Amino acid sequence: MTKLITTRRKFLKGTALSAALAGTGTFFGPWQHVRVLAQGQKKPIKLGLTCDASGQYGNSGQDDLRGIRLAIDEFNAKGGVIGRKIEWITADTETTPATASRIAERFITRDECGFLIGALHSGVANAITQVAAKTGTIYMNTNSSAPSEAGENCSRVKFVWDGNGTNFSKATVKAAIQSVGKNWLLLTNDYVWGHTTANATKGLVEASGGKIMDNLLVPQNTRDFTSYLLKIQQAKPDVVATAIGGDDLKALRTQVAQLKLDGKPAWINNQQDWPDIWGAPESLFGVFGTTWYHKLPLPGVAEFVKKWQAAYKDGPIPVPGNVSYNGYMATRELLRAIERAGTTNNIAVIKQLENIKVSAADRMQHYDAYMDPTTHQMQQTIYLARRNMKPADTTDYYEMVAWAEPKDATDDAAAGKCKLVPYEQVPTFEL
Amino acid sequence: MIDLLPHILNGITLGLLFALIALGFMLIVGLMEQINLAHGSLFALGAYIAIVIVGGETVLSPFFGDFFKLMPLAWRYVAALLIAPLVVAIVGMGVEFLMRRTYAKDPLFGLLLTFGIAMVIEEGIRGVWGTRDYVLQVPSSISGGFIFQDLIWSTYRFYAAGFAAVAIGLVWLVIEKTPYGAIIKAGAHDNEMVRALGINLSRLRLIVFAFGTSLAALAGVILAPIWGIRPHMGVDAVIPAFLVIVLGGIGSFWGAVIASLLVGALVGLTGAYASEWSLLSMYLLLIAVTTVRARGLFGKKSVLEV
Repeated sequence: MTKLITTRRKFLKGTALSAALAGTGTFFGPWQHVRVLAQGQKKPIKLGLTCDASGQYGNSGQDDLRGIRLAIDEFNAKGGVIGRKIEWITADTETTPATASRIAERFITRDECGFLIGALHSGVANAITQVAAKTGTIYMNTNSSAPSEAGENCSRVKFVWDGNGTNFSKATVKAAIQSVGKNWLLLTNDYVWGHTTANATKGLVEASGGKIMDNLLVPQNTRDFTSYLLKIQQAKPDVVATAIGGDDLKALRTQVAQLKLDGKPAWINNQQDWPDIWGAPESLFGVFGTTWYHKLPLPGVAEFVKKWQAAYKDGPIPVPGNVSYNGYMATRELLRAIERAGTTNNIAVIKQLENIKVSAADRMQHYDAYMDPTTHQMQQTIYLARRNMKPADTTDYYEMVAWAEPKDATDDAAAGKCKLVPYEQVPTFEL
Repeated sequence: MIDLLPHILNGITLGLLFALIALGFMLIVGLMEQINLAHGSLFALGAYIAIVIVGGETVLSPFFGDFFKLMPLAWRYVAALLIAPLVVAIVGMGVEFLMRRTYAKDPLFGLLLTFGIAMVIEEGIRGVWGTRDYVLQVPSSISGGFIFQDLIWSTYRFYAAGFAAVAIGLVWLVIEKTPYGAIIKAGAHDNEMVRALGINLSRLRLIVFAFGTSLAALAGVILAPIWGIRPHMGVDAVIPAFLVIVLGGIGSFWGAVIASLLVGALVGLTGAYASEWSLLSMYLLLIAVTTVRARGLFGKKSVLEV
């Protein structure tokens, strides 16, 4: 039985009507199907998976989707949650905020999804958040790691599952200043994630006694980094800290590797997504952060990898990486939260999600993790890695350098920037 | 104060690479008055064919076995430079064959058709090679770096720029100094007269298209080691190509080359001095020039004015 309070119903009717008037009969994503429920069968729970299939994060978006689907399949194999099967629908958000906004709205209004999952690009995640917040739809931001996502752009309905730029910076900056040098140069993608990550790094460097020589802003979709690399050589910093993402980072890596510039200066790459480097281990350089690796010597990791491989044996990437892992964990914890709440009522589920605590063994990480109720960001182990020069097999790209406990990598500034609206102001519904 | 010379030099090399990408596009627009939006996808296809030849594990290995793997890397690279343009030229002929129904109609038809073909090629690439990235290896003799003015420069980048300069020169010679070039140009300006002289115009167009698309593939092979290989790499190519052609003036060979060098220098210098403007600067330049000269730097009346 569907219950909606006035605000959501009005919104749904209004948008459905305007969509109908506008004649939007566009076909996106998978086919629609008419389903006849057997007598007594409960209505399925529907998830809208907002994953990029094209654009800067198209590759990673599909890896995110693989992790999300694995969690859904696991729950469905056990009979679903609260006795209801889980259905999902997906569409290409194109790494474009406007597209993501349109798709999120369609998932909520036309497809009646009660939950949205997926994102890599902070602009996309923020666009989805705006739409979700209007209706109280719970949104799992699986992989967008801009500090602003759990800071100024946080939301009562959104939960952030990836480590963010500040977490990674905190895990690296102090050690790098002590061991490498004080003069830092920042190379930053010119959009929200880049800026917020660079600001976090700048604050940490200066607090640790270092100096920022310059911050070179790199427009998105830059393919030629020669002018930046020349300028870096002219400036002679001790450390270059990058906040460059997606295809831009791939091009940068290729060009740094060609010039053999990966030794001096020292390079610190904020976060390295597995799909971005799959197939090109030789272009890995510097130290980089991640939240998970498929060869962590921890209980459950090997089993998870086997399970994932069985599901995606013909896929483009043979092992799960951090992106797929985050997609899986976010979806698993959402479904567990619904199970614990015993309802799909959004407020009840939000309260469950806000109190998540997951043991290290259950997370397949070194330390216990928990959801910060004030920012809605998962506080978890942050790993630092570099290229593995003695790989055990063809997938063994990383050598783990260190790992930080959640408390040592917490983004302290986030709580001050994040203003969650009271529960009473969130449109409530149960689908 | 940053030393200016390295950035000017970098800008010129970048400009030559832009010109190489634009070369095939320029030919087809200038000589046939057809805007081929599949140029970027054909550029990408050239790079993917190079991956099959130059190496590594590819999905097409079962068809080729170790045929290419047994060759030294330098041979494979040269083979890629020769084979990829040939294969893509055949695809280009197919594109031209499909385009025939759009000739003498609103240019929008050709534009939409080639846009559709571009999508088909890109999805085909995803289907065959998957979505992962590839890195094209280059022979050691043209890889690595060298020191100039106390800075490390990419050897391959200079090789690529030199290659581009030679390719530009050869294409110019073909167009300006051979009978074929004269016939092609005549066909673009007055096809009825060319037909009346007994020249097979359909075949002529097919040759132009094959030539133009093979140049796109050649640019794909040359640029792949710098940009990396991924399904949507064509988008990265078609935008600057279109921009320099409009900036230089449709139909003007040297206009496009000069525009490429201008854009390269501007992107290089803004990258050094005002990095956040480096990509936007080329569009601002285009706006500034076309505001004053609507047909670009050296443009004449063209298909875009229909």
